[in-house]
Amino acid sequence: MNDKKLKVKDFITVGIFTAILFVVEFACGMLGFFHPYIVASYVIMIPLVGCIPMMLFYTKVEKFGMITIMSVLMAIIMFVTGMGYLGAPLIIGAGVLADLIAMSGKYKSFKKTVLSNGVFSLWICANYFPVVITAKSYREGLLESGYSQEYCDNLFRAINFKTIGVLLILCFVFGCVGAFLGKAVVKKHFEKAGIV
Amino acid sequence: MKIKLDPRTKLYMIFIVSAVVMMSATTPFLWAVRILMTVIPIILLMCNKRYASAIRFLFLYAVALVLTFTCITEDSKGIFMAFLVGYCAIIVQFAPAMITAWYVVKTTKIDEFVSSMQKMHVPDGITISLAVVMRFFPTIKEEYAAISDAMKMRGIRFGGGNAVKMMEFRMIPLLFSCVNIGDELSAAAVTRGLGGKVKRSSIVDLKFKVQDYLLIIAFTAVLAVFIYNKYFMK
Repeated sequence: MNDKKLKVKDFITVGIFTAILFVVEFACGMLGFFHPYIVASYVIMIPLVGCIPMMLFYTKVEKFGMITIMSVLMAIIMFVTGMGYLGAPLIIGAGVLADLIAMSGKYKSFKKTVLSNGVFSLWICANYFPVVITAKSYREGLLESGYSQEYCDNLFRAINFKTIGVLLILCFVFGCVGAFLGKAVVKKHFEKAGIV
Repeated sequence: MKIKLDPRTKLYMIFIVSAVVMMSATTPFLWAVRILMTVIPIILLMCNKRYASAIRFLFLYAVALVLTFTCITEDSKGIFMAFLVGYCAIIVQFAPAMITAWYVVKTTKIDEFVSSMQKMHVPDGITISLAVVMRFFPTIKEEYAAISDAMKMRGIRFGGGNAVKMMEFRMIPLLFSCVNIGDELSAAAVTRGLGGKVKRSSIVDLKFKVQDYLLIIAFTAVLAVFIYNKYFMK
């Protein structure tokens, strides 16, 4: 059966949605310069905003590999834009796992999609990895590059080894909530228009 | 004088610059290396007749550098200073990566990119998707501008101050047009034989030239200097 294999159309779909997701991430990321607590709140903001393209993406996914490729692309883009390579294993891991979960529901089951979106949302936490793992040198780097002491203190109060667990859970929860929201939006707009 | 680089050299440049950006410069010598590293893509931009963007980047980077070194200290207070510090830090820190990425995206044609990825035996899935991502950012920007124009004509400015509406009004039409463009794109790609079983030939012939070797050596040296200073000079 050739149906199981990914075709050019699928690759292009993946590319487009990755680009959109990155734009969402970037737009939210810009807000982070205002206050470090906003950096921590990415776990809520990005899943909720990004859920709409993601759910539309899920309606187009029918074969294994699409979500995985998306996560690989995200990892590459994160690296190129200077977020580092520390988060890459998490991003790709989350992508593969999300793909497997969605596949177990044959990409049709809504429950599995919710779970899968929750898992995929974990990639956002990869942004924090440099902060958590290389905390000391990262802090020095920030201070040297001119961030104020206050910003650093707040950043590290919000994101450290203790809170990363909470942040991961929040990511997952809001990924799931976002799936419902996204589903509603997709239903409201796209199913009516007959695009899905 | 037009310098044409092999896409593989460009990818290597991106790779090195992103790695170096992660390491903070601590000594004046490292700062010098870092600045040199930023100047190279700017010069390359100029060589490709992209004077406007080259000068814009140069200006931005220079201003941020001067500000960082002169008037910002660790105990600068106040909201305005916080903004200034934040933006300058971001620019100084990430400008090298930004400029290099900009240079590569602007000067690499998609066919060159695809055939170089093919030569490096990257799986087709990654190559095609990545090519689409690269091509798609300008498209998103255009579509977004078109949507804003349409909303202005209709007299909708900020969605009535409602954040959710604001997002919905922009995001949904954007997704609509992106999905449509995607369909057209894949139709066009399939017509040109992408995804066929035969190995595709390419119209561009990629070869490393002198300038490629020079740049690869230069950037490897930059990385080596940074790693040496960071981990072995303590």
